[in-house]
Amino acid sequence: MTALVEVAQFFDDRSFEQFAAAFAAAPAGERVLVDAHACEWASPFGFVALLCAGQALAERHGAKPLLTVPADRDVAHYWARTGFFREAEALFEIHGTVPRVKPQAETTVLLEVTPVRVAGDVHKVVDHIQERAAAILTAELGLDPKATVGFGMALSEACQNIVEHAGTGGWVAVHAYTWRRRLGRRVVVIAVADAGVGFRQTLAPTQAAAFGERWGDARALEAAFIHGVSRFRDPGRGQGLRGIRRWLDRWGGKMSIRSGTARIAMVPPWDEDVPLKDGLDMFPGAQVQVVIPAAAPDRSRAANDSSEAPPARTRPDTGTTAPEAK
Amino acid sequence: MIAEIDVKAVLSRSVCEFHSDLVTRSTGRAVRSGIEAHLQEHPDVTVVVLDFSAVRVLDCSCADEVVAQLLLRRSAGEADRPTYFLVRGLDETHADQIDDVLRRHGLALVAEERGGARRLLGWVTELMRTAWAGLASRGPAEAEELASDLAWPVADARAALDELAFHHLVMRAESRYLPLPAA
Repeated sequence: MTALVEVAQFFDDRSFEQFAAAFAAAPAGERVLVDAHACEWASPFGFVALLCAGQALAERHGAKPLLTVPADRDVAHYWARTGFFREAEALFEIHGTVPRVKPQAETTVLLEVTPVRVAGDVHKVVDHIQERAAAILTAELGLDPKATVGFGMALSEACQNIVEHAGTGGWVAVHAYTWRRRLGRRVVVIAVADAGVGFRQTLAPTQAAAFGERWGDARALEAAFIHGVSRFRDPGRGQGLRGIRRWLDRWGGKMSIRSGTARIAMVPPWDEDVPLKDGLDMFPGAQVQVVIPAAAPDRSRAANDSSEAPPARTRPDTGTTAPEAK
Repeated sequence: MIAEIDVKAVLSRSVCEFHSDLVTRSTGRAVRSGIEAHLQEHPDVTVVVLDFSAVRVLDCSCADEVVAQLLLRRSAGEADRPTYFLVRGLDETHADQIDDVLRRHGLALVAEERGGARRLLGWVTELMRTAWAGLASRGPAEAEELASDLAWPVADARAALDELAFHHLVMRAESRYLPLPAA
């Protein structure tokens, strides 16, 4: 028997919850087919979360799960250009034709899906992206040049959570595109994810006793994200997430972390997300998303996006725009 | 003796010559070890200026390992002669990171901004900050002189100056207090 886990038509941090529910419901003894054939667009969060699922399913069953390639040729090409398949080939038995793409200067993919296992990988990621990010943040998002140094810091700290705490490797991806309805502005989105032990298990040795029966994924996320608690007793530890929050607060950004059965978010005024959700479907590890919006609404930029990347497919509920579906 | 240390150069020697970014805890440890090795080779150095001008990105973890841990280990290791640290060439984001990690440890440091003006980063009380600014403005002074300048009771001025000296934010020579010298 094969259990089916569908990838939503527009796969991002919101539709991820449907995916996580199907993932959690898949019987332990059955091989899983991750079905992306109807997917029309995925955010960087979607890409790295899919890889986490692949890793977790392979570990659960001892055999690679199956993955169907998006049926739409252009979507499959886009997935290939993000570097997703390069990483997925090691985790999934892929069904469908994976397009062979030539390296090219992407307008939306600031950082391809990139593995993060050791500290040296974090250096490579920051080094690779910093100059391009500086141009995007200042020229496209209209942020003060001072924002660009903090961008590297935020990226580094998010990736280091994997190196320091996950107990396994993970992935990072960074894209720039337009959130048309949700925000009406361009954004840069950083997604960092792993299928490791998650915040609850990481912090349990030092925190669980104090919380007693209330200890769980939500309390662990609050401890780390709000109070800067780390598994180390050194007061110098656990500052990375605080540093990201400080920087995002200055530039009107958003951050969310999903781990286990909970999700916590720093919600800026432009968003309607909830700060904390508990009782979600179990998904392993930790998945982080950081969103840096343009300084102000820029209607001319949004209009240009359509001409750069026709046809701009707009997600009905959020207005997320497929950056380059064709 | 004053030593000026180019932190980017230490990064190149200790980790990788192609890196411009002070990121990750392990990199921070390597850079701190490089600085400590340099200071061990030069035991006559009493004032150390850490120059961050050529550093592009500084993350919280690295700021903690390079700056905060350097100060903590200095405090533990100096039985006979104190070492004073200053930082220079910080941009605003670098300064934020260092300020935050120092506060978490109850530490403080003198930072020289790119224009040459100085300020304190980290944990300091308002009394300490005012006394430090007063001393920086008038130059070496005894507690009574600063108290007169600030219209403070002498005991308050002395307490603030002693606290600044304890945190290595000013130097003390018998009854006189001195701002840290420029490199």
